[in-house]
Amino acid sequence: MNNPIIKVNQLTKSYGRHKVLNNISFEVNKGETVALIGQNGAGKTTLFSLLCGYIKADSGSMQLLGQQPGSLALFGKVSALPQDAQLDPAFSIGEQLSFYGQLQGLTALAARTETERVLTLVDLAAHYQTKAGALSHGMRKRACMAQAFIGSPALILLDEPTAGLDPANALHIRELISDLSQHASFLISSHNIFELERLCNKVLYLQDGKLQQHHAQPSETTAHLSLQLASGADAAAVDSSEVCQQLRQLAGVKEVTAGRNHEYQLSYQPQAVDDFDIRLLQCLAANGWQYKQLSKGKSLEQQLFARTKAAAI
Amino acid sequence: MSIMLLLRQIRLFSQVELSRLWLTRRGLMTLAATAVVWFFLLRYAIAPASEILQEPNFQKSLTAAFGMLGLHQLLNWPAPELTLYWMLSLVLLPFLSLVFTANQLSSDAARGTLRFISLRSSRTAIVLGRFCGQLVVQLCLILLSLTATLIISAIRQDGLSWQAIEAALLISCHLLIVLMPFTALMTVFSAWARSSRLALSLAIVSLGVVFGLLSWLIYHQPDAAFLLEYMPGAQIWQLIPAQGWQSLQLAALPLAQTAVLLLIAQQILSRRAL
Repeated sequence: MNNPIIKVNQLTKSYGRHKVLNNISFEVNKGETVALIGQNGAGKTTLFSLLCGYIKADSGSMQLLGQQPGSLALFGKVSALPQDAQLDPAFSIGEQLSFYGQLQGLTALAARTETERVLTLVDLAAHYQTKAGALSHGMRKRACMAQAFIGSPALILLDEPTAGLDPANALHIRELISDLSQHASFLISSHNIFELERLCNKVLYLQDGKLQQHHAQPSETTAHLSLQLASGADAAAVDSSEVCQQLRQLAGVKEVTAGRNHEYQLSYQPQAVDDFDIRLLQCLAANGWQYKQLSKGKSLEQQLFARTKAAAI
Repeated sequence: MSIMLLLRQIRLFSQVELSRLWLTRRGLMTLAATAVVWFFLLRYAIAPASEILQEPNFQKSLTAAFGMLGLHQLLNWPAPELTLYWMLSLVLLPFLSLVFTANQLSSDAARGTLRFISLRSSRTAIVLGRFCGQLVVQLCLILLSLTATLIISAIRQDGLSWQAIEAALLISCHLLIVLMPFTALMTVFSAWARSSRLALSLAIVSLGVVFGLLSWLIYHQPDAAFLLEYMPGAQIWQLIPAQGWQSLQLAALPLAQTAVLLLIAQQILSRRAL
């Protein structure tokens, strides 16, 4: 049985004459990790701000855990990493996070212990006494993220959680979110579509102020494969039209589309052949083509932007 | 919001403001600036003027000149240092309060720190907490400067009377009440403005404009003069000759002004996009 942790109905928000969000409705169920995707200015941060209670909607309704955004009942249950928000540079990050913990109802001692725990989560345990103003951009970002993990929030909203982080820390944060998603629901906004693909099981795609929902559910009649051939000196001579022609001859293939950088998307009927991927590898070997990557299903990028890409190709 | 949670959060905000005063570079600079100002006032104004106030001829002149206004009551304070401290503080501290409390909310709002806080605390608690925090900080500064004044008095008199300590406590209560509407006024402007500098400018300009408009109105309609009695600090002139704890009855107006201003600040912050 679905248990909506976020329920948004006919939500509209305008800035002046510009309608940023136009009658959007969606639900997020308990335990889901949801991606919020959209171009710059699509309204992602506005939606986050509405859900956090930072701004008021023009019309429509929102409920988080059955409560209005910003209501007292949500303190400690909903946390967020707002975009561009900074800690006070005059105080140490430990002092500030302890203060936030106490505001959530923890005792001073419990808040300190909790602060040490969340700082350890983001690999900043050694910086408890460091002032926020003395941290690097990436460390400040991680400290801001740590405040979202204080206590045991049921819903965590993260706006661009890995923006500005180096690859190692971005990976660490992704792993952290993946671990914590066992205990809390996440709504994550990011431009890193590959990151969201790994973390999320539901996608909300904002476009022109309207919402398109996408569920990563496999189709029973059509399966997809994403193939990328090696792009070394030998592979440079590969003719994409020839690759497409050879792949189309495989049993069960419905469609082959070529992308940039030796990428190919294959659609096929899984009922027609049981061992389609093995036949595909045999075809590649027979033609002397080395593959760099082969993955089942369409990439999230392909699913969301396939029309745009196809038109460009 | 439960009253206990509200009070707890107000206490936490006040503790943070106290930490900001005693444990941060900016706070220590504020303390240093206050110490320097009061050193010069005590050394070059209050201490020498206290000697003059002790002279019988000066006391007779003051009574003859300002007896009608009740200013001769100033001579009834148990120590002349307290008389001068009282007069200087009543005139200076409201203006200093505007400067020192200008940054209650604006910097945190501009930096986005209020977004972290508002997920854990109501905007009412934020307004009241920051206001109370500023009052606690100002009380610290008042007590420090009063202690220095009492020390100077004790050195001059070779001792300190209980009456002088009681008078110092009364002065600190009065000053805190005098500063309340000015602090609340800065709560209003810092809830609205994007920076403390803008908040301070808006407060000064607004007070100037309101006083100007009232003066113009009273010039044409003398019956409207009573409106001046509702301005922040209007009770200061009545306070100067006041003596004893019964003078706290003059606190009703500043307390009412404070309540109204805090309600306005709460409404502004509740409607403000964070």
